[in-house]
Amino acid sequence: MTNNNRHSSSFRDPSGFIFVDRGTVKRSISPLYFEQYNALKDSGFFKKLHHAGLLIMHKEISTSDSEIIIEPEQISFFTYPYEWSFDMYKEAALLTLKIQKFALENGFSLKDASAFNVTFYKGRMVFIDTLSFDFYQENTPWRAYKQFISHFFGPLVLAKYSGAESLKLMNTFIDGIPIKMLSSLLPYKTKLNPFLYSNIHLLAKYEDKHNEDYKGEFKAARLTKKAQLNIVKGLYNYIKKLSLNETSEWGNYYDKTNYEDDAFNQKSVIINNWIHQQKATSVIDIGGNDGTFVRRIDQNLQEALVCDIDNNAVDANFRYTKQQKETFMLPFVFDVLNPSANIGFNNKERDSFLERIKTFAPDVSMALAVIHHMTLSGNIPFEMSAQFFASFSKVLVIEFPKRNDSWVQRLLNTKAEFKSHFDFYSIENFEKAYLNHFKLEEKLPINNSERVMYLFKSAK
Amino acid sequence: MLETIHILYFDPGLGAMIVQAIVAAVAGVVLFSKNLMFKIKSFLGIAKQEDDVFDDIDVKDSDIESKSHSDQ
Repeated sequence: MTNNNRHSSSFRDPSGFIFVDRGTVKRSISPLYFEQYNALKDSGFFKKLHHAGLLIMHKEISTSDSEIIIEPEQISFFTYPYEWSFDMYKEAALLTLKIQKFALENGFSLKDASAFNVTFYKGRMVFIDTLSFDFYQENTPWRAYKQFISHFFGPLVLAKYSGAESLKLMNTFIDGIPIKMLSSLLPYKTKLNPFLYSNIHLLAKYEDKHNEDYKGEFKAARLTKKAQLNIVKGLYNYIKKLSLNETSEWGNYYDKTNYEDDAFNQKSVIINNWIHQQKATSVIDIGGNDGTFVRRIDQNLQEALVCDIDNNAVDANFRYTKQQKETFMLPFVFDVLNPSANIGFNNKERDSFLERIKTFAPDVSMALAVIHHMTLSGNIPFEMSAQFFASFSKVLVIEFPKRNDSWVQRLLNTKAEFKSHFDFYSIENFEKAYLNHFKLEEKLPINNSERVMYLFKSAK
Repeated sequence: MLETIHILYFDPGLGAMIVQAIVAAVAGVVLFSKNLMFKIKSFLGIAKQEDDVFDDIDVKDSDIESKSHSDQ
């Protein structure tokens, strides 16, 4: 058995596991799952899912009596549910339901509905757990129903009422938000909606009532396929129409910026030239809003990670990516002051942002109009932010707004009598700290603004 | 009957299995009434255009056939 390199997140499902073979992710399938696997393959169901772009592609590498090994298409950067914007989360939920409906129509059923079975890849959400399918047994309820509610439906409904920030709860509850807690967190009016009442509050009551019943009586619970399809379709329609109560139309950010059109264009030209110079094919733009600057790069980028703390910006980016069918763009929600950590069993199930970005190793990292927020809102000293960027950047394109910049002034004014503690915020101190970690390649001021663009190369 | 293996995997929750009968009935009523409303609105010409960002639930034949990917 090839289980010496078993991936540390792959232990929940006895059907098989993921392992890494000389840098390539592969999947070992146990004899326990041979019957299902062969049926999924021989019936053409896998092929249909692959062609429809719903399931990650794979090829069969080897088969023996004790193990089948498949190699899925390699994903260079994983995003986790707690890093998705509201619309991305919706898309992942809808994908799962769509697959369940399609599976039911083909005689199969999803045996689990974890949000971690989905990731964003090549411009869309894709299902990545090839072994999640089992045979559908006539007149049985959906075993993954509760998991779907705690992983998808619950977090989305909570986000509707409490804001997109609540999606980050998945970082703590990696096996889904507990149903009882979900029910107690939602406002009372959700009890008056029969659909929400039955899917969340009533579910919580039933779960509570039966939680000490270990007789395995679930075999007795019956449900026709038509009824199950009603659940799946009902959830699909509801989620498709779900929107945040707090939602505000995105698209006005660049109207609010403090520099002129020609400064904006000039900044864009500088970035473009530098990206060309570096012959970059992969970039990360930290604080990249809705991806505007990355889209203005006319170099052929293979992959662009664009992250921002603002859910609305990431939503706008995602919608644009989807509508334009872009495959290079990967939007996600990211708080530079608190990047995702290593979590789960042994702290090894879900990798930290830093671990993933170091593996991804982008050709260029961009941080435009971010440093003043890190330094003045987050109180991160230049030395520490330089260290952060240096830990994963071969080349760093960073914009520095000088002390007289109106945004910087605004941030400084919020410090009131402590303003003098931030006297260190100067271009000299910035350069000094960053030159401890980088070599300066080029430095260009943006005309008619208080901003300077830097091209740094790793000093390592 | 083909033996399913999910028994080994995780607890689906007994309550969650039983409650699905009620959930499905509610969903059925909601689907039926939404459908009816849509038909009435279409008839009166006041049905709103569907949001085009998110797809329909059905996997269309064209989705499956049009692309020439291979999984082998």
